[in-house]
Amino acid sequence: MSRSILITGANGALGLAIAEFFLTREEGCRVFLGVRERRERAQELAARFPERAALITLEITSPDAWKTALAEIESVAGPVGVLINNAGFHEDALLANMAQDQWSRVLDANLNAVFHGCQAVLPGMMRERQGRIVNISSLSAISSPAGQTNYAAAKAGVIGLTQSLAKESARMGITVNAVLPGYIEGGLPTDWTPEHLKALKMQLPMRRFARPAEIAAAVFFLASPDASYITGSTLKIDGGIL
Amino acid sequence: MPTRQRLKELMISELMLDMAADEIGDDTPLFGPAGIGLDSVDALQLVVMIEKHFGFKMADQDQAKRILQSVNTIAEAVDQKAAA
Repeated sequence: MSRSILITGANGALGLAIAEFFLTREEGCRVFLGVRERRERAQELAARFPERAALITLEITSPDAWKTALAEIESVAGPVGVLINNAGFHEDALLANMAQDQWSRVLDANLNAVFHGCQAVLPGMMRERQGRIVNISSLSAISSPAGQTNYAAAKAGVIGLTQSLAKESARMGITVNAVLPGYIEGGLPTDWTPEHLKALKMQLPMRRFARPAEIAAAVFFLASPDASYITGSTLKIDGGIL
Repeated sequence: MPTRQRLKELMISELMLDMAADEIGDDTPLFGPAGIGLDSVDALQLVVMIEKHFGFKMADQDQAKRILQSVNTIAEAVDQKAAA
């Protein structure tokens, strides 16, 4: 089995870790690293696996961009068998002060983009009668922190989408699951000070953040043939925070 | 294999129906409690299945609704297209 794997947000810490997991543990798979402007780290990873990894430019909020990217992948590697909707970002503010744009941008990137991605890959997966979709939600979807009404709503929406789509696609051999990471090394806001990070770690049951590979391992499993009866599930990976 | 028989066998395998081909009558309604009891997800799968195995692409939802009534209505549409 030689699957085509598309990972969005592949220049970030988690996207890179997921890509590396597939490239090092699934023989023969082709990995497409979905990126936008920032692509240096994805380029470095692709250079290590020149035969099996390639960058693909993808503006996740545009349905047309998805169509173009999917056509490009299909022309060189066949239909996408695994989609990891990993891209996203947050733009925190208290709701009372939140600009309409801040709400819309976060909903577009974190929820609408997942809809576009799933809709783009489904026809191919339905024809093949197999497929794996893993949506990266967030612990914020269920912990709902103050200052993240937009992000928490979007990520909770991803859980709803995941569970509903899982029911729609279960008989077609397609599974859809969501992973809810907590704090991840390399995935935290760059303006957080070392003192703030240190204080935050003290509050965590494991007193450390997740290594990206610790989240990637679960994503890889959910996308594997071994996870064939797991669909519509939400897996929180937070080191015991909740 | 005759179209009707092939359709029934494909439906059983692709829609994961726990029944034998001869339990599906040619005129048995596919949807609703009076028939086999397929649902909207099955309908979507039927559309994909018919396109994949018979090369027949539904033009729109109205056409799909008309054709996806029974094995007979599907077979007629598929055979008509093959003869055209």
